[in-house]
Amino acid sequence: MLYVKNLHKSYQSGSKSYPVLKGINFSVAKQEFVAVMGPSGSGKSTLLNCISCYIPFEQGTITLGGQELKGLDENALAKVRNEKLGFVFQDFMLLDGLSVRENILVPRIIQGKVDQDAEKLADKLLSLFGIDHIAGKYPADVSGGERQRTAVARSLINRPLLILADEPTGNLDSKSSRAVIESFENARAKLGASIFMVTHDSYAASFCDRVILLKDGVVYDTLEAGHGRGEERQAAFQDRLLGAIREMSSASPGDNPSGSRNYDNNTESNAPAHIDPGSRNYNGGTENKAPAHIGAGTETPGSAERRDTK
Amino acid sequence: MTTLKSLEKQLQKTDRKQAVLYLFCNFISLLLITAYSAMMFSPTVLEVFPEGGDSRKQMVAIFVLALFGCVVFTIYASNLFFRKKAKQLGTLMALGASGRRLLPGLIREVFTLSAVSSFAGILAGFPFILILWNSFRLFLTDSTQMILTIDFRCLYLSAAFFVIVIGFSCLNAYRCLKRTNIMEIMHEEHRNEPVKEPGTWCGPAGILLLLAGAALGYIAPAAYMKLFSAYPTAWINLLYAPVFVGLYMIMLHTVVYGWRSRKKHPYKNLIARSMMKFQGKQTVNNLLVSTVLIGGSVFGIFYIPMLSVGQAMEVNARPYDYFYHYRTDQSIPGKEEIAALAAKYSLAIRDFNNAPYVSLAMDGITEVEDEGRSFHYERIPLLNEAKFFPESSYETLTGEKISVEKGSYMAISNTDETNTYFLNLTASTLTNMVTFQTLPVSFAGYAHYDFLADTRGYYVLNNEDYETIAAGLTPDWTGTAAVFNMEGGDSYEFARDFFCTLISSFGPECEMPSYYDRVEKYYKNQKGEVYWGDTPDMTRISFSEPDTSEFRSFWKYMPKIRILDQTDFTRTFSVFLMMFLFIAIICSLAAMVISYTRCMTILLNNRYVFDDLKRLGASPGFLIQEIRGQAGPVFLIPAAVGMSAMYLLYLLLMYANDGKLTAGEIGGMAVCLLILAAIAGIYFLVYRYTVKNMCRQLDIDRKQKRRSL
Repeated sequence: MLYVKNLHKSYQSGSKSYPVLKGINFSVAKQEFVAVMGPSGSGKSTLLNCISCYIPFEQGTITLGGQELKGLDENALAKVRNEKLGFVFQDFMLLDGLSVRENILVPRIIQGKVDQDAEKLADKLLSLFGIDHIAGKYPADVSGGERQRTAVARSLINRPLLILADEPTGNLDSKSSRAVIESFENARAKLGASIFMVTHDSYAASFCDRVILLKDGVVYDTLEAGHGRGEERQAAFQDRLLGAIREMSSASPGDNPSGSRNYDNNTESNAPAHIDPGSRNYNGGTENKAPAHIGAGTETPGSAERRDTK
Repeated sequence: MTTLKSLEKQLQKTDRKQAVLYLFCNFISLLLITAYSAMMFSPTVLEVFPEGGDSRKQMVAIFVLALFGCVVFTIYASNLFFRKKAKQLGTLMALGASGRRLLPGLIREVFTLSAVSSFAGILAGFPFILILWNSFRLFLTDSTQMILTIDFRCLYLSAAFFVIVIGFSCLNAYRCLKRTNIMEIMHEEHRNEPVKEPGTWCGPAGILLLLAGAALGYIAPAAYMKLFSAYPTAWINLLYAPVFVGLYMIMLHTVVYGWRSRKKHPYKNLIARSMMKFQGKQTVNNLLVSTVLIGGSVFGIFYIPMLSVGQAMEVNARPYDYFYHYRTDQSIPGKEEIAALAAKYSLAIRDFNNAPYVSLAMDGITEVEDEGRSFHYERIPLLNEAKFFPESSYETLTGEKISVEKGSYMAISNTDETNTYFLNLTASTLTNMVTFQTLPVSFAGYAHYDFLADTRGYYVLNNEDYETIAAGLTPDWTGTAAVFNMEGGDSYEFARDFFCTLISSFGPECEMPSYYDRVEKYYKNQKGEVYWGDTPDMTRISFSEPDTSEFRSFWKYMPKIRILDQTDFTRTFSVFLMMFLFIAIICSLAAMVISYTRCMTILLNNRYVFDDLKRLGASPGFLIQEIRGQAGPVFLIPAAVGMSAMYLLYLLLMYANDGKLTAGEIGGMAVCLLILAAIAGIYFLVYRYTVKNMCRQLDIDRKQKRRSL
């Protein structure tokens, strides 16, 4: 559904050009939940912005639902953003003067199709994400988690092909983050949405089907979640992610992993500070105030970093 | 709400705060521009301010500065509006609204806001000047000349500014939506505009540039004329440009480094300084505009003491209460008639003296314009008309014996020998304009007598030479100068009666300004040219308007009457004084509004910083200190730089005029210092109000701060 091929993007500063993306290739299938992780400056947000049609790129192709995005004019790009993409931002980007319900309807208003179907869908989304009780309130009057769930609902109102989420849990506490991730899972399961998420949060990423690791503007590695169900699968995937992140951070510039790798984590965390190794406990929404180095619950391989998710 | 249009309307309602700020800024700019241009183009002002005169030039120069300030302020307001609006626009674009679809709504919004605020500003400009001007008339001074008439052609300027405001805001709307990087639009509000750190040399270098620019701009025209024997074009004033560069560098230094040493307390006001630095571009621009406006305001207000103090000192120092002079062909009241008039007011005159003089033609070297702007120096055989006393007359009037050698003449100047530009020191021949007999002469120096040193130009001849050259002159080329004092006290009623009697004694042939020169007229007519004094360019003097500033300043036979000059000074020069007071008020108001708005903008943009500081446990005292650290420089630096730069510039101008400072100038500058102190006091009050308002907006309890202290 989404194909990114040989994507290049650089920023200009004066006469100097700084390449940020140096030939990115990947794809996202229908109903797939994919995350991109990487250290700061690795090009995650730039990649997301290129797919979002927010910023132009120099080379490569991005194909969404069979439509090539490069070369589209301003109106066509706007149409793509409105009809084929849904957006969730770290800082919510809700419009202050509109109620939660009105905010959800904004993409439809832009489209010019606020019909009964839209109204019904808005109500359904409000109910699905547990925000129907705040439908008439304004963003300033609701919590961060509720705002982000509103944003997720807004991203789905046009039934897009793909939801693009930029650090959706970045500004949230653990309880709200959990709720937002659940919203994504709901959207995928009940509305058939595909999600492409940029995050620093290994816990949030561990819910994905696949995580793309980005380093210095290239895809360093791609990790599949593997088979299995529920929290065990998620916990194991988070362990693998942390191992991969650690390896990536210690790799020399330009190194790409090859051969079989064992990302099982049985050692102390060496994850770089700029990638959150899961310093929060998402234990059903109850925060564990114990510091990270104090074991919380039963020790399992890698639990010192993974945290207990029961 | 089902359409984009209705969505935009709803969002506009939430943007009320920023819209009000934008409306306010535009309103103020247009109000000031309209008020100023209405005054500047008012027939009331134009009739009084001579065309090409220094006063009018100063008025226009300050207007240009104010206009520049208002343009910058409007651009700033527009940018501010769009910065706040950008998040909303960016979000809509991110969600799929194209710039092209948003543009009509945005243009409609900014057009409406700009048009309404500008139109309201223009409309309010007229009541504003009427109220202010009539308050002057009511509380300060009044005269028939002060009746304000408005030429509505002044609206051309307001209309042009109106178009600029609307054009710029629409252009800004277009530019905002034209950008291809939507992320930039969304995060525009939080975009920092740090200035490049220029090095600590920047401030001192700025001060040097400021001084150098002022000196260069002042010296350049004279140097140009000396070097190229040509009149410079107005472009030469661009040499003042280093002044503005210097000011910019001073402001830049202020924002980046501040002016206090931080060795002892390196972390003091760290947050305030950082906030300022990271919005450096806007802050520097604002400080610069405020400085220029304060400079304009101070320049305007200085006019009043500089005119009045010098005048007051001169009037008080006169050795006689009354001085008048007249042509012999006029039937002017003599000693007995004046005494009889004084008796009607129970007054008596004393020390009456009168002395004859003759009007002769002088030759001399002067600038003669060539083709284009160049000129050459040439000796003109009949250059100007001048009044010559014999030695005996000079002694009668002054009580001082003087010896002028035969074949020479002396020019009467003040003791300081300042303001001698009107005296002809290059004459070699004097001509009797009736017989055309000539007398070879040379300049023998100055005779010092402050009372007779004025622009009419008086000279002294040897008694014998005087008799020779005066022979055959008709009464219209001869005259008498008379002086007297009042016994005991004087009365304004008598002085006014005397003044009116004197005027009514003169014939229409004497209804002319002091610079109407019969010799020059004769010379021009002989050459077949039209004398400029006979063209409409010449200021008209009318016996029916003896109280106007033109009459009092320029009538050829205007007497010097101490009590009249003392009492009527404010009224005579009311339009001058009030216009400059008006300019000062307008510029000060604009500077205060800009500084206040800047402080409020800093507050709005950095509210989250103060909230974070509160969460980190900052005390009200600490927060207030940071607020002061922000607001202080915004008020203090423009005020300090604008005031001191203008004071120094004034001193420079006074000194450079004649190479010395006269007692009148020193007195005037001392009064100017007091005025500066008063203005500084007003600025301080506005600063206090601003800080108070900032604290209120941030919910900082100032009382709690006092308690905690």
